[in-house]
Amino acid sequence: MEKARISSIQLFLLLTGFLFGNTLILAPAQGAKNDAWLAILLGGAGGALLMGVYAAIALLNPSKTLAEILKEKLGKVGGSFVTILDIWYFIHLASLVLRNFGEFIVTMTFLETPMAVVIGLFAVILVYLVNSGIEVMGRLSELLVPVIFLVVFIISLSLITVRDFTAFFPVLENGMKPVLNGAFALITFPFGESVVFLMVFPHLNKKERLKKVVPASAALVTFIILLVFFRDIFVLGSDLMVRSTFIPHLTSLLLPGFNVEPLIDITLMIGGGVKCSVCIYAAARTLCQIAGIGDYRKLTGAISTFCVVLSIWVYANVLEMFNFSENLWPYYSLPFQIVIPLLLLLLSFRKKSSQSNERAKSQKGKDAAKAY
Amino acid sequence: MVMCRKGKKGYGIFLVLFFIFPVLLTGCWNNRDLTEMNFVAGMGLDRTEEGKVLMTVQVVEPAAIISEAKAQSAQPKPVIVKSYEGETIFEAIRGILFNFDKKLFFSTAQVLILGERLSQDDIEKILDFFQRDHEINYRMDILVAKDATPEEILEVESDQDPIEAMYIKGTVENTDARGTVKRTMLIDLIKDIGSSGKQLAIGQISKEGEKEVKTEGLAVFKDGKLAGWLGPYETRGYLLVINQIQSAIVNVTKDKDKVAMEIIKSKGRIDVAFRNSEPSKLIVKVEVQANVGEYEGRGKLESPGNLHNLEKILKEEIKKEIKMAMNKIQKEYSSDIFGFGEHMRKHQPQYWKKVKKDWNDTFSDLPVEIQVDARINRIGSVKDPVKKVE
Repeated sequence: MEKARISSIQLFLLLTGFLFGNTLILAPAQGAKNDAWLAILLGGAGGALLMGVYAAIALLNPSKTLAEILKEKLGKVGGSFVTILDIWYFIHLASLVLRNFGEFIVTMTFLETPMAVVIGLFAVILVYLVNSGIEVMGRLSELLVPVIFLVVFIISLSLITVRDFTAFFPVLENGMKPVLNGAFALITFPFGESVVFLMVFPHLNKKERLKKVVPASAALVTFIILLVFFRDIFVLGSDLMVRSTFIPHLTSLLLPGFNVEPLIDITLMIGGGVKCSVCIYAAARTLCQIAGIGDYRKLTGAISTFCVVLSIWVYANVLEMFNFSENLWPYYSLPFQIVIPLLLLLLSFRKKSSQSNERAKSQKGKDAAKAY
Repeated sequence: MVMCRKGKKGYGIFLVLFFIFPVLLTGCWNNRDLTEMNFVAGMGLDRTEEGKVLMTVQVVEPAAIISEAKAQSAQPKPVIVKSYEGETIFEAIRGILFNFDKKLFFSTAQVLILGERLSQDDIEKILDFFQRDHEINYRMDILVAKDATPEEILEVESDQDPIEAMYIKGTVENTDARGTVKRTMLIDLIKDIGSSGKQLAIGQISKEGEKEVKTEGLAVFKDGKLAGWLGPYETRGYLLVINQIQSAIVNVTKDKDKVAMEIIKSKGRIDVAFRNSEPSKLIVKVEVQANVGEYEGRGKLESPGNLHNLEKILKEEIKKEIKMAMNKIQKEYSSDIFGFGEHMRKHQPQYWKKVKKDWNDTFSDLPVEIQVDARINRIGSVKDPVKKVE
């Protein structure tokens, strides 16, 4: 067990950076078109609830990582099996994030650079970061994640002159169905992906702060996604927003007299970097615990290389990427994000209540003894 | 250094990376120096008679602009204008390199001029390249050439600016002081193409002698095809309705004296009224604030009553101008360039679904109610015009 400790503010920023990650590249609620703001609100609420489940699991099993909880609750064989699935999920997630990031850079910024180079160089830095440990990751996010908020606010404010504030009308033109679909997509991406943090929560120095950190982070990210959605639809109009490959890129082109595109790249690099590094860290740690290897650093290089290769193989083109993340990812994620955590929560509650019953009994006995 | 911690091997890896990164991270993969690029200042797009695309580019020759300051003697022209035919825009853009030595850089393009023949075709389809390509500036101004091809317009050599495209852009930009041409940026056009309840309208450019161009008026489109033109005053009426007037001079007549009113603020709104769940009336609301800019005559202005009188006259004048524009657009072109349909789609979607199919026809038959509110703020340095006692 690593003895690294991170403060609650570091965890908050790490979690926020993770949730921000590649969300804006893929704009998961986009299917709801100009009603996406409703989907974002619903999805944000649902996401906060789901993250509450993860926080509850972490609180009920203090200082235990996901692998340890699984082993304890599901037994050695079942636990190991689910853990291996989870490792795969983390690796897959990391490589998808890498691919999103690479695809964005290659389509918009470095058009003639091969994607393998972009992703590869990025991964080298990530390996270095992950090897530095969770404490360094926490401190780094303390330094970098606020930059994301700054950039989002600067760009949103400076675009205020080129807006059409009625662009999101009419409300509910196509009924509730696309909104609910969008909300569901948003719950699984990005909020549900924070199941990875079950590997990070045990490092928090003050456990009870988790109750505040998780909802605050979910609320902040919902707010930012909402802000960015309104910015984009006011600037681009709903038709162009739905048609565009990468929305933030188009928006950044419209700023009069100043090129902010590098700033957008930077926010995505920070968010994507945090997300990838947490995923790689979690995968390496989990693999270590299940395989009984002491130091996870021995595995990060291998896992990252695997992620890079997988990220290049996983899609043939950018449209496949969008199709997968919009239509398949939510259902693919269901067992990892919702089914397994809910099961763990139930099992933890049962154990906890039986434990606390025993403790209460013994406490009563002590009290009774004291009274005499 | 984490990598150093592992001893000599880690240190070796560190050193290798240390020397590799500076090589890889110096900049873009496809680095292009300024000297390896031709900067495009303006573009023109037209159809040939065979239905091909005729692409015209105006390329800046930086050396000529620098040398102009030094000596006025024989020097190369500051801009080069070339055209090329192709099946598609992109093919023409690449093909045009047949007699350019360096690749073209399009982000600097200031104007895109569409030819008349192209406009009679479907411009909604043809603009895809300008949305898709990463080098195109979405804030580039778009104009439709009248009575001249885009090539002829881009070949004009103005004395005012060595780069002709900048000169054209300047004349379009100053519409905020006169309001007689619509300024359409590429992004506005793309948005309008996407909206089902609004037809396209683009500013108009024509040649004025050998050395100048004129940007005045409006090209009205219907379903992506050029339907006709509006004159400067009708254009102004149109711009008042769609809330794009910043400042303009409106002449009114008061007791046979000519008064020039300077509009300093204008707010236009549109609405659609319904009766029996059918659109029954188009409503236009315009509020203007104006200054008295010029009073040519011997009348009197000094009392507030006179000023109110003038406000009434201004109201009527603006109403007349809007009515003129409305009439022409409804009766002659029957194309909803105001966006009444878009307004309905946003605020009364249940009705919009019923009428959207033949909206342009419905639009032309609907009566219009024009409500104008005018306020005069300032009268300038003198109260009354010159009065000689005779």
